Amino acid sequence: MLTFIVHRTLYAIGLLFVASVVIFYGLRVAPGEVTDVLTNPVNRIFMIENLREKLGLDKPLPLQYFIFMGNFLRGDPGYSLVNGEPINELLRSAAGYTLKLGALSALLTYGTAIPLGVIAAWKRNSFFDYGANLLAVLGMGIPNFLLAILLIQEFAVKRHWFPVAGYESWKHILLPAVVLSAEAIAINLRVVRSSVLEELNRDYVRTLYAKGLPEGKIIWVHVLRNALPPIIALAGVMLRTLLGYTLIVETIFRWPGLGYQLVNSVLKRDYTVAQTLAILLTVAVILFNLLADIGQQWADPRVRQGAKTG
Amino acid sequence: MSAGGTYELTVGVETEVVPDGAPGRTLGDKLAPLVANKLALLGGLLTIAFLVLGLVGLLIVSRQEWQHLYLDQNVRRTLILPFEEGTFLGTDNLGRSMVWRLVAGTGISLGAGLAVTAISMSVGMALGSLAGYVGGLTDRLISALIDLTWGFPVILVAVIFVGMLEPGLTAVILAISVVNWAGYARIVRAQTLSLKGRAFVEAARALGVSRWKIVLRHLIPNMLGTTLVMASYYIAVTVIAEAGLSFIGLGAQPPTPSLGQMVSNGRSFLSKDPWIVILPGGTIALLVLALNTLGDGLRDIFDPRLRRW
Repeated sequence: MLTFIVHRTLYAIGLLFVASVVIFYGLRVAPGEVTDVLTNPVNRIFMIENLREKLGLDKPLPLQYFIFMGNFLRGDPGYSLVNGEPINELLRSAAGYTLKLGALSALLTYGTAIPLGVIAAWKRNSFFDYGANLLAVLGMGIPNFLLAILLIQEFAVKRHWFPVAGYESWKHILLPAVVLSAEAIAINLRVVRSSVLEELNRDYVRTLYAKGLPEGKIIWVHVLRNALPPIIALAGVMLRTLLGYTLIVETIFRWPGLGYQLVNSVLKRDYTVAQTLAILLTVAVILFNLLADIGQQWADPRVRQGAKTG
Repeated sequence: MSAGGTYELTVGVETEVVPDGAPGRTLGDKLAPLVANKLALLGGLLTIAFLVLGLVGLLIVSRQEWQHLYLDQNVRRTLILPFEEGTFLGTDNLGRSMVWRLVAGTGISLGAGLAVTAISMSVGMALGSLAGYVGGLTDRLISALIDLTWGFPVILVAVIFVGMLEPGLTAVILAISVVNWAGYARIVRAQTLSLKGRAFVEAARALGVSRWKIVLRHLIPNMLGTTLVMASYYIAVTVIAEAGLSFIGLGAQPPTPSLGQMVSNGRSFLSKDPWIVILPGGTIALLVLALNTLGDGLRDIFDPRLRRW
């Protein structure tokens, strides 16, 4: 177990290094140099040398990389090229928004998928089961951006229940959270249902019934607890998928989280912001992967036993 | 793997592969399970219909003399509803023909899906079979690479690639390929491991057939079923990702019509003419549904173990 963790961590660090180099170099060789954005054709010739020196662009690329990474690791990624704002402040507020949205989406996902999935399995082949299944098919079939504009049209434009986009009040977060969790609800619902169904056929369930335990307690306490592992295993995958979707959903609703800021900075060619956010989100994904891998090993009692004796 | 014991072990643990090349099986026999599985058949037929549409779409996008079909604007005939004023599916906000834009958009989406499949499948199969067949350090290195790339959010990678290149299809295709090759490689590696211990491979090796010939002639044909299943899922993933990225302005650039971009463009006119959103949106949903249904059917036929949940 320990060797496994050490190995994985080393891999992750290696990948992180490669990813940061690729992102850094990739964004630097991209068409349109930073100085083109900051100057205009009239003053370019006078300013360019000065500006390149000021931004450190006259140094060789590998050196620039190490300077940037050094600053990045010290927690000072510099300033936005477009509006001169310190990136740290941008990060702090954007991370807060993304975490809020992510937390609400996770709550919505599991708060809906687990009860619905359990009831669908419990009352299988009932009207409820078919309804839940339909919901799952719809949730997986409709692309999230389409769902987003349908919801905006219906609840924001027509009925004025919610704002179209923005971030000022609690009302702004609801639609993006629903859109972000729609597919996750659908997938988890199906996993919960099939996992609970499998558990319902086990001997211990029959024993509990024979013992005279109330049905509700059997289902919601014993069966649900035993049905959880596949859902937890899926959580790692879900987290990564959701992280990708936040880019689209946040952009649609102009929710100023990390995803929106990344898309925005890429479109505006604000390289310092773009590379900071890209590397940061990559770090997040690699970290999720690492934790999911370790968690999966940990969840397997055979591996854990081996670690204790060995 | 010359010891008999190891051989039995691998057979017991790994997949049972459908002997596709078995003699005496006609094409009809091979297609029989697909016909028996109604849903898969429906998905397959829908996919074929979309492929035909997509080919027409790619053709008119690539030939300058046909591009007028979806590019010609007419300010007097904007936002016509389907089946009205002599049009088939109406016109968009610039008076461009919705039918041709949908056909062209389907072509772009499917073209991107096929390009991604071609790149990621060939890379994935090459590295996966290399890892599985050669083993040792090569296997460890490739496996590490697979573990690390697999599961990276496609959208994130695509946005980073757009930053490196420029908004457009190339960035999207490359980004999705960079993530998806690992999916193929994982499965191909596992299958290679299971196949290389089997009698027909042992026999080929005993006859002195070279490594590469064994991989190309005996291993890869036996994995085609599984990879086909994955390809249909991944094309669906590509279609969704491309549409999503085009929707936020990072995918195919105007005037090239892409389904996601048509949805995005129609957004402002939704209350006046909902069809200019419903049509491209519905096309995306139907295309993805067709590919997934086909994938589910093929999976049941080729490899039930791949069941996702």
